[in-house]
Amino acid sequence: MLGLVVHPGPVEEALRVAEAEVPAGRVGEVVLPSKTLTAVERVGIYHGMYPLRMTEALQADYPALAHYLGDDGFRDLVGGYVQAFPSRSYTLNRLGEHLPEYVKTAPGVRRPEFCHDLARLELAVSEVFDAPETPPLSEKTITSVSPEAWEHAVLAPVAAFRLLAFRYPVNAYLQTVKDDHHDHPKARLKDTWAAVYRRDYGVYRLDLSRTAHDLLADLANGRPLGAAVTRAVVGGGRRAPREHELFRWFREWVSGGVFRSVTLP
Amino acid sequence: MNEGHGHLPPVAPSRSGSPPAGHARATPMSNRWDLPDLGIGVGLRTVHFGHILSQHPPVDWFEVLSENFLKTGGRPLHVLDQVVERYPVALHGVSLSIGSTDPLDLEYLKELKSLADRTRARWVSDHLCWTGVLGRNTHDLLPMPYTEEALRHTIARVREVSERLERPLVLENPSSYVEFAASTLTEWEFLSRLAQEADCGLLLDVNNVYVSAFNHGFDPREYIAGIPADRVVQYHVAGHTNKGTHILDTHSDHALPEVWELYRLAWARTGPTATLYEWDENIPEFEVVHAEARKALAHRDASPARRPEEGTAAAAVATR
Repeated sequence: MLGLVVHPGPVEEALRVAEAEVPAGRVGEVVLPSKTLTAVERVGIYHGMYPLRMTEALQADYPALAHYLGDDGFRDLVGGYVQAFPSRSYTLNRLGEHLPEYVKTAPGVRRPEFCHDLARLELAVSEVFDAPETPPLSEKTITSVSPEAWEHAVLAPVAAFRLLAFRYPVNAYLQTVKDDHHDHPKARLKDTWAAVYRRDYGVYRLDLSRTAHDLLADLANGRPLGAAVTRAVVGGGRRAPREHELFRWFREWVSGGVFRSVTLP
Repeated sequence: MNEGHGHLPPVAPSRSGSPPAGHARATPMSNRWDLPDLGIGVGLRTVHFGHILSQHPPVDWFEVLSENFLKTGGRPLHVLDQVVERYPVALHGVSLSIGSTDPLDLEYLKELKSLADRTRARWVSDHLCWTGVLGRNTHDLLPMPYTEEALRHTIARVREVSERLERPLVLENPSSYVEFAASTLTEWEFLSRLAQEADCGLLLDVNNVYVSAFNHGFDPREYIAGIPADRVVQYHVAGHTNKGTHILDTHSDHALPEVWELYRLAWARTGPTATLYEWDENIPEFEVVHAEARKALAHRDASPARRPEEGTAAAAVATR
C-alpha cells in the first residue's frame, strides 16, 4: 500500500507498478470496495492526498520558490523531489532540507541557479527559526571588556545565525513576495550577501555588502576582532570599509543579537 | 442510513454485550486512571498564538500537536512554555505509527517523553494507524487490517511505548477510507481488546466514528456502544467534508448535528470526559473555534445520562 500511496503518477499506473505484489485486477481481494467506491478508488483517496500534503508542507517552507515557479511548476518540482528524497523523519520540518540541491538539477525547472539560491535562503530562514535559543551578548558583558582587549577578542555568533553569499538578488525577491508586491526583482546575475538571524524569536534577514559579509564571516570563524578588521581594511581595496561603516555594522550586529559570547585570550 | 441526512436510525442491540447506546448508566464512570475531565479544549494553533498570549482566553485546556514542538528551539517552544504556565495541556501526535512493522522510533519516543515532561502533559495520544514502512513516512494516518495478528503486534508495541513514555498511551480511533478483506474484527472490537490487553487509554473521536461509518457502511451507534467506557479519557469533535461517495476527515468548519448526537450518546456512557474541538483547515479566529467547542456543554446537558430514566425515582421527581 505504501508504494501505491506515494507513486507520483495516476493511481492506475501506481497499481501497475505495484503489480508484483498485488495484480491490478486483484486489488479487490486485498481492499474491499464500498457501496459507492471501487477498491481502486478507495486506495486512490490516499494516493491523491499524498502529493497535496507534501506540496503544502514544502510550500510553507519555500513560499518564494513556490511563487517563482508557479503552482504547476512547484507541484511538479515537489512530485520529483519526494521521490528522490522521501520523508524519513517523524517531522515534516525536515522534509525540505535537500530541496536547494535538488532544484539545481531537477527537470523542467526554469532558472535553476536562481532557484537554488532562493531555496538556500529560505532553508536558512527555516533553520534559524528552529535553531536552539542562545542568549545574545549582554550590555554588561560588552562594557566589561576593556578597550585595549577588544583587538584580541573572539566573537561567536548565536546558534540561530546563518551567513550566505548568492549570485542572484534573492533576498530582495523573497521580500517582495512577503510584502505581496508585484514588482519582483529579475532573476539576473547579481552578487548579493545576507545574514539571517533570530532576535526575540523573530527571524530577520539583513542585506550585507561583500566586505561586511567577509568581515562577519571572519568573526564567525573565530578570527580575533583586530585581525578581522585589519583584513577587511587592508584587503578590501577600493571596497575597504570606512571607520563610520565599521561602527555602524558593529552597532547593527551587536544590537541585533548576532553574537552570543566574547572570548579573550 | 449513512447519507448524512437527518437523525441516526434506532440502534440494533450491541454485539459487545454493553448496554445499548442511549441507555444511561446510573452513575457516570470515571476512566480507569482517574485522569481528570479537563473540560472543553481547543488545539494550540500558530495562528492563535498572539491572541492566546495577549488575551489569555478562558479556555479550559489546549491540545498540543507534538511534532510541531519537537526538533525546534524557536518561537513555537517559547510560546508553548508560556501557555503551559497558564493552561493544562495534553499532547497529540501523528507520527507514532503504532501499527507499522518498522521498529519503534526510539529517538522520537525519547523526545516525546521529554516534551511530555516539560509540558506536564496530562496524557500523550496518537492514532491507531501506521504512517509508513521501510523507513519512509507518508505523514498520513494509514488504515490497518483488524486481525488477531495485527492485534498481537500492536499490543506489544503499545506496551513498549507506554513503558518508554512512563505513562499510559492514549490511542485515537482513525477515520479511514479503506477496509481490508483480511480483517476479522470490527474496528471497535480491535480497539476494545487493544485497550484492555495493552492497558492503554482511548481518545474517542466521534467525528471519525461518523466518517468511518459513512465510508464503510456500519452503524456508528454500535461503535459507540462497543467501546469500553472506562478507557475513554478524551473526546474529539470536528467537522468534515462530504464528497457524496465518501466523507473526508478535513477538520473543517462546524460539526454536524449527527456528530453531536454521537457525542451525547458516548457521553452517556463515559460521563465527564475532556473534550476537544478540532478545527485545522481554514482556521477562523480563536473565539469562533472556542465557541464551537463550547457547544459541547449544551450537548453534555442534553445527554441521556442527564435525563432521568423512565420509571425511576429521579424521573418521578423530574415530572413533579
